[in-house]
Amino acid sequence: MITFVLIGVLVAGGTFLIQQRSLVKVIFGLSLWSHAANFILLSAGVAAWRAEPLADRTAAADAADPLPQAFVLTAIVITMAVTVFMLALAMIGHNDDTRRMPETGEVHDR
Amino acid sequence: MNGGVLPFSIALLGLLVAVTPLVTRLLGRASGWPLAAAYLGVAALLAPAAGRVLDGEPVTWSRAWFPALDSSFALRADGLGVVFAAIALVIGAVVLAYATSYLGEGRQTSFYWLMTAFTFAMVGLVLADDLVLLFLCWELTSLASFLLIARSGTSAEGASMRTLLITGLGGLFLLAAVAAIVARLGTTSLHEVLDSPVWAEDPAFATLVAVLVGLAAFTKSAQVPFHVWLPDAMAAITPVSAYLHAAAVVKAGIFLMLRFSPALHDVVAWNVLLVVGGLLTALVGGFTAIRQQDLKKLMACSTVSQLGFITAAIGVGTYHALAAAVLHTIAHALFKSGLFMMVGVVDGAAGTRELTRIPRLVSQMPVSFAVMVLGCASMAGIPPMLGFLSKEELLAAYGETPGGQLAGVVALAVGALGAVMTFVYCGRVVFGSFVDGTSDREIKPVSPVMIGMAALPIVVGLPLALAVGVLDTTVGAATQAAVGGPLEDPIHLALWHGFTLELFISVGIIAVGALLVANRRRLTPFVDGRRLAPDSATVIGAIRDGLARVGDLAARGVRADHPSRHVSINTAAVSVVLLGGVIAVRDDLAAQPLQDNLMRPFDAVVLVLMALSVLGVAVSRTRLAATLCLSGVGILATAQIMALGAPDVGLTQLLVESLTIIVIMLVLQKLPTTFGNPRRDGHSRLLARIGLSVLSGVAMAAGTWALTSRRPRSDVAMYYLEEGPVETEGANIVNTILVEFRALDTLGELAVLAMAGVAVVAVLSSLRHEYLDPPPAKNRWYVKPPEVTLTGKGTTAYRAIHRTWPNTVPLQLMVRFAAPVLVVISAYLFWRGHNAPGGGFIAALVGSAIVALMYLSTSRDRQLGRPRLPLFLIGGGILIAVASGLWGLLAKGSFLEPLHAEALGQHWTSSMVFDLGVYLGVLGLFLMTVNLLGTSEGEAPAPGEEWTRERVDEAFEGELPGPMDTVRGERADDHPGSRVGVRTHHVSQGVPPREVGR
Repeated sequence: MITFVLIGVLVAGGTFLIQQRSLVKVIFGLSLWSHAANFILLSAGVAAWRAEPLADRTAAADAADPLPQAFVLTAIVITMAVTVFMLALAMIGHNDDTRRMPETGEVHDR
Repeated sequence: MNGGVLPFSIALLGLLVAVTPLVTRLLGRASGWPLAAAYLGVAALLAPAAGRVLDGEPVTWSRAWFPALDSSFALRADGLGVVFAAIALVIGAVVLAYATSYLGEGRQTSFYWLMTAFTFAMVGLVLADDLVLLFLCWELTSLASFLLIARSGTSAEGASMRTLLITGLGGLFLLAAVAAIVARLGTTSLHEVLDSPVWAEDPAFATLVAVLVGLAAFTKSAQVPFHVWLPDAMAAITPVSAYLHAAAVVKAGIFLMLRFSPALHDVVAWNVLLVVGGLLTALVGGFTAIRQQDLKKLMACSTVSQLGFITAAIGVGTYHALAAAVLHTIAHALFKSGLFMMVGVVDGAAGTRELTRIPRLVSQMPVSFAVMVLGCASMAGIPPMLGFLSKEELLAAYGETPGGQLAGVVALAVGALGAVMTFVYCGRVVFGSFVDGTSDREIKPVSPVMIGMAALPIVVGLPLALAVGVLDTTVGAATQAAVGGPLEDPIHLALWHGFTLELFISVGIIAVGALLVANRRRLTPFVDGRRLAPDSATVIGAIRDGLARVGDLAARGVRADHPSRHVSINTAAVSVVLLGGVIAVRDDLAAQPLQDNLMRPFDAVVLVLMALSVLGVAVSRTRLAATLCLSGVGILATAQIMALGAPDVGLTQLLVESLTIIVIMLVLQKLPTTFGNPRRDGHSRLLARIGLSVLSGVAMAAGTWALTSRRPRSDVAMYYLEEGPVETEGANIVNTILVEFRALDTLGELAVLAMAGVAVVAVLSSLRHEYLDPPPAKNRWYVKPPEVTLTGKGTTAYRAIHRTWPNTVPLQLMVRFAAPVLVVISAYLFWRGHNAPGGGFIAALVGSAIVALMYLSTSRDRQLGRPRLPLFLIGGGILIAVASGLWGLLAKGSFLEPLHAEALGQHWTSSMVFDLGVYLGVLGLFLMTVNLLGTSEGEAPAPGEEWTRERVDEAFEGELPGPMDTVRGERADDHPGSRVGVRTHHVSQGVPPREVGR
């Protein structure tokens, strides 16, 4: 039950931040959403079983579901990649206001 | 018979596509010669098979392909296939040879590469005996022709897009036809489809397919109303026009109609569509050609008109008419490719293609004049050229138009009118470009290779017409394929075939035409300058703008450059649906209660701290404070993950969190210190945001409560827990899932990582330096370093504040000690990943931590590693991962299936190689990130520092003296003359390039 509330808190914080003008805040909001999504995935593995899924130390009867863990591990690294990409966007022009598009210096001759 | 030579030839052409970049690297523009020789080699390879085909024995080859579609990679050479393949290869060879002199110096890789790709697709198309294969090759020819036109630069952008729009539309028609046929007949085999009795039995279905196939062919062959793309496409260079618009792409449409003719020639809709459309096209094309002032566009319009003649003959559908269509296809491919190349010769000599501005070339270029006269004579249908013979055959064919004698007479009359127009514009070409000119422009010499190659296909038409009997079997075999059965009587072609009606009409056409050409000056006012109809660009532009306006209206509700609007709408929608759903099923949930023992006291501690951290991120005014709170969230998430029994995930989360915070700090130094004031947006908006946040949070929590934790562990979980360690001999089940069971997912994830790294380079390299890192004078958020007034320059206090280097000494000392230890830890984590928490990701993140430490310990921004190292690491990682997958495919027959072995008392598995690929990819991404995002801001980079843009360019180009001044789509190589970029010092150091003069 507590995990569900935790998910709610993270999602609410993420939603609030994602609606802001600053791209850095949006990125932070996305980070909170990612944490929430990861916990939703782990929750799908049912939190009643919490022993590490290491075959040589834990009996299968106690072990946590390893599949959501593999998904979440993948998701964490992808989140890092997306965050890095968005941070690069935020840095452009040394200004991260999303309502003011950065100039690019491109000249369209059409 | 077994036609192994067919796939072999196509594979050879595919190989040619692959090696062309190498050839152009070695030979530059002269690559046309070996490629032309290769084309002729493939043609020679196909010749024995073609011989058997002409003897009436089709050559076939087939392999299973797409079993789910019941489709096979089936090839079948019949008369049509042989004729069109020969046209594509032989004319292609001539055009490639011509291009060696036409093109400018340089590699010209894209031209040769696309030309070979096009030929590959075209030969595949004409030899295909499977509807799916046919469709794929058809689309490939569309794409290749689009790219060939688009490569001509900015001026061709609009034209190439219009071409793609129209031919793409045709592709959809063909796809619909193929889908309808496969759904109805249940087979994708082309010859079975054509032999099916359904065409006679089900007129409605036959009509549907006839219209779809006809429209598809119309788009490719530029028939009214789809003809507009062809004159437009003249933006492409002349060799492209000569090949695409005489021999290849437009002939693909003709081929499609002939290919389906056996099934459809008795369908009334087919006859009407093709005859009416074709003759209308012949008239429209002829009329616009007469009015054209640009020589090349005139040729384009004449192509439209000639294709109209062929289409109408195919529509007539009798075997004489089909024979005439085949013969005129051959004749047109010869004379029109030559004439297009002659336009290039005239253009080269006069420097213009405007008829009014071309000087009198006849006296200086008599050979070219003779070639042009012969080519135009063939097009105009003057004996003894091949074009005369085919034109006569066409006229005879129109007389056989189904639907009564009146239809035949009308078709014949319209055809004759079209032929008169042809004669007139041929006269315009010859006299306009060589005789009538009054301009005194300088006439430049033209390479004899160009004139020779242009002359070749034209001059061949002369002996071919005199001894036209040699074409009897070829045309006969092709006609037989187009009729779909044995011929009533064998084809017998002869230049002289008695005093027939067509001969008299021909004489009349020539007489009227000659009269009009002789009086061309009096006709000039009639044809010049008046616009009767809007041109293609205007029409398509208007359609596109209209559609864009509709789309604009539809998107107005959700579209915004900043994300908050559509994110808000989507989040609200999801939340409402989820919450509504939970409320709706609340009674059913009681039947399936939550599992026991879901909570631990520790969870409550995390929740409280997490709520405080999240609140901190949300309300922080300064960026630094928000980042600190965010790192708190990350650490707490790690703790909660560990508490849920996921050590691998926890380790990953911890390392990713640390590295992400470092990257955020790097970026923050370039951004304002505080966020904007949230109250600026108004009180009500703030309330709305909070309301939506609470709604979404409640909905997600309720959704997770309703949808998870209501069953014991899943069957999949139990399978992994019980069978995983046995199958993989690895104890760390999560790691074995990542690298063995679901390695394809992990490969996809690696690709996402790589793409993010490449995308950062791509985005940042599309901005000019001053917009990426604006100088402090133009950046109103720039904060100058505080001025600390300290007396005594030699004092410790002064050094501590003003010199960065002494400040970094402790960290540098620590790195010397810590880095080797971390290397060992990273290697150990990598090695033990299969059995204990660790593996490629975690080990790579530890490796990235070394990178981060080294970067942070330098006294100012310095690039770590060689400039291109990150991209090599990323690319190498993916290659290694894919290679380990292919290894599994070869050894075990399944992509990414791991191999296991026991050696040296250890268990070894090939999934460790895969994990190595993951390791390199992650490390490359992080190295790239610190190098690109960590650049410092300020007036000018200190020695050893670089601007962001320069770093980005160096990540791709290698060491540079300064940032390049290119933007999206440009490369340093694009400016060889002006040297903007790689070698100029103007941008980086303010030294202007040397100029001519004193």
